[in-house]
Amino acid sequence: MSYRNRGFFDFTRQAMRCIKVALLTAAALLLIPTGARAQAANAQTSPAQSTVSAKQDRWLHVRVISSDARGETVRVNVPLELAEKVLPTVNHDRLHNGKVKIDCAHVNDVDLHALVDAIRTAKDGEYVTVQGNDSDVRVAKESNHLIVHVLDKGKSKKSQVEIKVPMKVVDALFSAGKDELDLVAALHALSAQGDTELVSVKDQDNTVRIWLDSKNAAD
Amino acid sequence: MMLLAKAALGISGTLLLAGAYTFREGVIRVEVDEYCAGGAHVHLWVPAAAVPMAMHFVPKHHLREAAIQAREFLPTAHAIVKELKKFPDADLVEVVDGQQHVQIRTHQGKLQIDVNEPGQTVHLLCPLEMLDDLTDELEASAPGA
Repeated sequence: MSYRNRGFFDFTRQAMRCIKVALLTAAALLLIPTGARAQAANAQTSPAQSTVSAKQDRWLHVRVISSDARGETVRVNVPLELAEKVLPTVNHDRLHNGKVKIDCAHVNDVDLHALVDAIRTAKDGEYVTVQGNDSDVRVAKESNHLIVHVLDKGKSKKSQVEIKVPMKVVDALFSAGKDELDLVAALHALSAQGDTELVSVKDQDNTVRIWLDSKNAAD
Repeated sequence: MMLLAKAALGISGTLLLAGAYTFREGVIRVEVDEYCAGGAHVHLWVPAAAVPMAMHFVPKHHLREAAIQAREFLPTAHAIVKELKKFPDADLVEVVDGQQHVQIRTHQGKLQIDVNEPGQTVHLLCPLEMLDDLTDELEASAPGA
């Protein structure tokens, strides 16, 4: 082999070595984030498996089940943190910066803020109890929860509504100002609460449930 | 002969790496099937990383126009995508009405939308990372950004 040919093969060998090193480095760089992502994916739980999320995220669940022939069902599962972050970005109609404007702060000359303030400072007890032929209504404060219970005894359709809201959430809701409800503050206050059923509506056709827990699936 | 083999190895390695880079964010999958005479059947697989890249080639004025039209929803979309990435897989919305079934869920870092109704199915799978990049690009294209 001539000196010239040997030089050419040395050059080729070195070039190939460089390409190999470059390929290996690029492959390693590509694989590192993939591996990290794979680990992150493994750390996540799928909804089929269980569903208590590792960070103890709070999830708001809404379930509507209709008992008619079509069997309509609606299930919504939303992380509270997501709702907290997303709500301030929605500016539509009366909703701005996570606060919703209300015109009815003085409903029939009743100052809602003053009413909430009075309930907050009052002791536990039943505030309103109405028992009629058509419906029963009960508004009470029990262990720092505002409870509203309505039983509609109408002959054609019987329905029952139960609302149980922690007082801290009610406070946060009315914390914005006179004519505003602070939804983000209410969600934030809600996230500090334990598992709780907020709303339950049952009638002949539909069942509605809104509740809060740490699971990322409805049931 | 050895030289050719090494060159082939280099080319195939480069192609492999290019493929891995292109598919690093997964794929966008769109499947639309209409089960009727003359019904459409669309099955589309696109590398997710290609979308933000392709957006660089979209004329600026078109992008600005799109950003203006989507301005109202962009912050919300951005916040939703950014937050969804933090949470484990979840069924976000499920609606069953007779034979109609709509499901919106997150699955392995992807937003999955499935619509099944008699005679028609739509399945959409979109990596959240890509949606994040897309909203970033659109927000950056908005006037005054």
